[in-house]
This record gives sequence, C-alpha cells and structure tokens, in this order.
Amino acid sequence: MSEPALLAVEKLEVVYHRAITAVQGISLTVRKGQIVAILGTNGAGKSTTLRAISGFLGIDDARVTDGSVTFNGQRIENRPPHEITRLGIALVPEREKVFPNLTIAENLAAPFTSSPDKRDDIGDLIYQMFPRLSERRNHLGGLLSGGERQMLALASALICRPTLLLVDELSLGLAPVVVEELMQRIADIRKQLDITIVLVEQSAMAALAVADYGYVLENGRVVLDGQAERLRAHGDIQEFYLGQTSGDRRSYRTVKQYRRSRRWYG
Amino acid sequence: MSSRLPRASGYFRTSYAQDFALLQSRLERLSFLIFTLALAAFPLIASAFYLDLACQIFLAAIGALSLMLLTGFAGQISLGHAGLLAAGAFTVGILSKEWNAPFWVTVPVAALIGASLGIVFGLPSLRLRGLYLAVSTLALHFVVVYLGGEYETRRGYSTGIVIDPPQIAGVTIGGGRVWYYVLLTFAAAALLVCLNLLRSRSGRAWRALRARETVAEALGIHIAAYKLLAFVISSAMASVAGALFAYYRGFVSVEAFSLFLSIQYVAMIIVGGMGSLLGAIFGAVFVTLFPYLIEAALLRLPNAQAYAGDLFAVNYTAFGVVMIAFLLFEPAGLVGIWRHVQTYFLLWPFKYRPAEGARR
Repeated sequence: MSEPALLAVEKLEVVYHRAITAVQGISLTVRKGQIVAILGTNGAGKSTTLRAISGFLGIDDARVTDGSVTFNGQRIENRPPHEITRLGIALVPEREKVFPNLTIAENLAAPFTSSPDKRDDIGDLIYQMFPRLSERRNHLGGLLSGGERQMLALASALICRPTLLLVDELSLGLAPVVVEELMQRIADIRKQLDITIVLVEQSAMAALAVADYGYVLENGRVVLDGQAERLRAHGDIQEFYLGQTSGDRRSYRTVKQYRRSRRWYG
Repeated sequence: MSSRLPRASGYFRTSYAQDFALLQSRLERLSFLIFTLALAAFPLIASAFYLDLACQIFLAAIGALSLMLLTGFAGQISLGHAGLLAAGAFTVGILSKEWNAPFWVTVPVAALIGASLGIVFGLPSLRLRGLYLAVSTLALHFVVVYLGGEYETRRGYSTGIVIDPPQIAGVTIGGGRVWYYVLLTFAAAALLVCLNLLRSRSGRAWRALRARETVAEALGIHIAAYKLLAFVISSAMASVAGALFAYYRGFVSVEAFSLFLSIQYVAMIIVGGMGSLLGAIFGAVFVTLFPYLIEAALLRLPNAQAYAGDLFAVNYTAFGVVMIAFLLFEPAGLVGIWRHVQTYFLLWPFKYRPAEGARR
C-alpha cells in the first residue's frame, strides 16, 4: 500500500428526496493502478456511491449530505458531471449507455477530448482492443447487441482518457461467457492504459476474478472489505450478502451469527 | 457524417478524416455537380412565377435547416420559430425605417438579435424537456409578435412597414432572377454551415445529448453550453431568414408571422424527415409547394369556379391530412422515401441493402 490514494471517499452520506438515506457513512480508498470491486445486493448503495463520485446525484434529486469525495487531492462531491469527467473520472453507466442514433465511429468521436490527435491515437488502440467495434464502425449504436454495447460504452469512456474508470454493473443482462470476456478486457485496459478502475457488481465472483480489493455494501454501509483473494476464498460472501446458495442451505441462525462476526473476516 | 449509401465493394478508408468527408464517392461528386449546374441554370428558363416559388423555397429552406439543427439534431422542440423570423424581419424593418440602415448592417444585426433571443429562450431548455419546453418557446413567439405589432401601431405603420430594395456593393437587388441567385447563395451557405457544424464536435455533442443526456454528460460534454449553443445558432439563422424574407417581400407586417407559420416549419422537418438536413430541404420544398399543388388540383376539377372560395379551407384540411398520413405511414419522412428509392436503384437487381451500409 505504498501508492497514494487516488480516490478517497470518507463517511459519505447521500439522501434522496431529502427523505431516504441511501448511503450512510461509506468510506472507500482506491489506490492508483488498482481494480476495486464494490459488491452488494440491490439497494445496498453501490450505484448511489458511484453516482456520488461521478456527480450524477442531482438528476434523481439526491444530495451528499455529509462526508467527502476526494480525487487527486481535490474535493469533487456535488460538482457537475462534465467537470468531473474532465478531471479524469469516466463513468460507464448502468444502462442506456450508447448513443443509438450515432454510428460506432461517431459514438467514439463524441466524448470530450483535449485534442483531436489524442483521440486518433487512443482510437487506434481501442479498435485494436475491441476488434468487433472496428469491424462494425459504420453501424448504428442502437443496432448492437448487449455485449457490443457494453464494449462500446467502455471504449467511449476510455476516449476521455480517464485516470479513473467507473463501471456500473458491467454484467447486467449479459451471459456469463460475455461477462468473463469483458472482465478480461477490464484487466487488459488496466494493463495497457495504466488506469485505475472501480467496478460495481452484483456477480461477485466475476468481479473478484480481476479485482485487487473489494468492498461489500449492505444497507448503505460497508460491511466487509479486504483483498480480493481473501474475499474470493469466502464462498460465504455469495450466500450471506448476495443470496446465492452453494450447496446446502444454512439456517437463519448461522447466517445471523456469521453476520455478527463478519468484521473479523476483513 | 459517414456514408449513407450502400457500397458494393465495401469501405476503404484509411484515416479518420476520410470518415468525415462530405462527398465520398464518385457518384456523389457527379450528382452534386449536375445538381449545382441545374440550380444555376434554372432562372434562365423559368418564368417569374417559378422564380418566386424557388425564392420562397430557399427562404423556407434556411428556416427549416435552422429548426432542424435545434429539433432534429439537438432534440429541443421549439414552437417559437415564427417569432424568430419575425424578429429578423422587424429588425430589418425598424433599422431601415428609423436609421436608413443598409443591407450589410441590418442582416448581421438581425443575426445578433436572433442569437440573443436564442439565449434567453434557450435558458428554459436547461430545466424543461419535450412538450413543456415547446410551450415555453411559444412565449417567444407571442412576445416578439406583440412587440412588432406595438411598433407598427405606435409609428403609424398599421398596415405594415414598406422596405426599399436592398443594395449589395452598390447594386440594387430587384427582379426575380437576381433574388434567385442571392437567396440561393444564402441557402447554400446555410446548408454548408449546418453540414460543417454537424460533423464537428458541436454536432456530435448535439446528437449525443438528444439521444442520452446523462451519458453525454458522463462523457464530459457540457450539456447546458451545447443546448444554449444550439438555440443561439438556430435562432440566429432563423432570424437571418426572416430578414431576407422582409427584403424579398419589401414589406414587413405581423400578420405574416402567425402561429401557423411556426407549425408549418415544424411540419417541414417532420414531413421532410427528422434528423436529416436533406429532410429539412425536402420539407421546405414540399410545404412551400403544397398550397400551390392543391390549388392547381382544385382548378382542374370540373366547375372549378364554384368552389374557388373554399380553397383556403381545403388547403388547411389537406395539410392536416398529409401531416397525419406522414406520421402514420412514413415517420422517416420524405427523406425516408428518397432513401428507399435510392437503395432500390443502387441495389437493383438485388432486394436488400448490404448489412455494412448501416442505415440512418
């Protein structure tokens, strides 16, 4: 842990419609070059955390009421999304992520870049990384399959040359094979472009396969965090936090006891 | 803009710049040349009536192109277009009446006034969407028309303001043929401006924010700035169209800028085909010629004189029916039909376009 923290979320609290507290006191640290997975069931506060980082809370009438988000030493909570993107944080949203009325080439030309030359350089690299996009660059974004859309969304986020890439539910609605391939791409992206990545995921094992560090959220709090291998070693995570069974089901009592002792596993 | 035509032999582009070339194939260059020559030669053979029609079409085309930028590409619905035309026309009227201002002053000032109206009436778009935005732009129309009417009555021009024919570089512009070339130049310039805007960063930003506002913002596009930019550019262009209209008619009056005119412009971009500059031009041609076509058709009926008085009503009704028919049967508009025809001939004797030429 010699690398300094690129992104630090401290005691973040987010309230929707001034009434519903979605996130209460989440703290995360993302170091340069890491892939960090944020796991949890629906409503755990994963997406809210991600939106707080990328500045998209205002759209849903939500606000950061407490705590801070620091990126590269700058406070960024409650700043508008396009400014945050220009600071070097790119978001791949959960759904509706490509422009259906633009071709792939145009989708990749639309994002903000500091200069056209840089776009061409990274454009070449991206087409190498995703040959399917290169083959179909004159196709409309709206005619792509789910997996291709996900690739295109990743690619257009990379055009912004982010230092931190946020990916919301990469696996949403995709077949396990495709998820595996995309996760591999995520690992490639980190290696080739030297960027830091935060993955928000429900399918914990897919994310932990490439991540270095993981956080498990529940009811707007961090309930467990640790090195990815350690989390992976606990098949229990799937069962206790994400509700999938591995083999025989445990009784409610054991689950409860497990939860009481969960801090020790971190 | 990448190519729309199917290519039998595939795409052979080796640089990103080639993706954005305006004329991509030999066929496109050739047909462009022929079309330009035809347009240039038209006044030599046309009668005064047809020249007037052509001039009306050019004026409508500038207006429709500007509305297409705003609505068809940036996705901001506006019903205030007639207001902007009126603003341009009244700028010309007032400036030339009060200060005797020449053409090269009035038209840029009209553009400036249009642009500032665009900022003011673009501001609601940062909060409102769709129908709500459309209603807020209606206010623009009423404000401008009210102010124009007020000027007319205060100064005693209650029947309208008469404008002297303009002079460009010492030459007085009058007569159908000269106007034809002047308006053709302006329309061509407007088209070129739009084409270039659309293949630039702003054009992509507009289309991106029309499709997915949040994603566009996540990719670093400054939504508010680009929405306002769309309003400013579109309004300035519309205002110039209004100014030219005033000069062409030699007369400005609020009666010319009814709400129906706004609706006609919206009709142009819908009938022509949303999200296509060619569509805006098709729409302008269609909507301008439509009343004349109806009239001609009516006159061919037996006993035509008997219902000459109903012409106006028939016109409105037919216009409404055609609008509905387009929305139901060809939502892609005239440009959709045009592309079917194009594809048919280019692919003949085959039936389907190749998958590679993605349709837009």
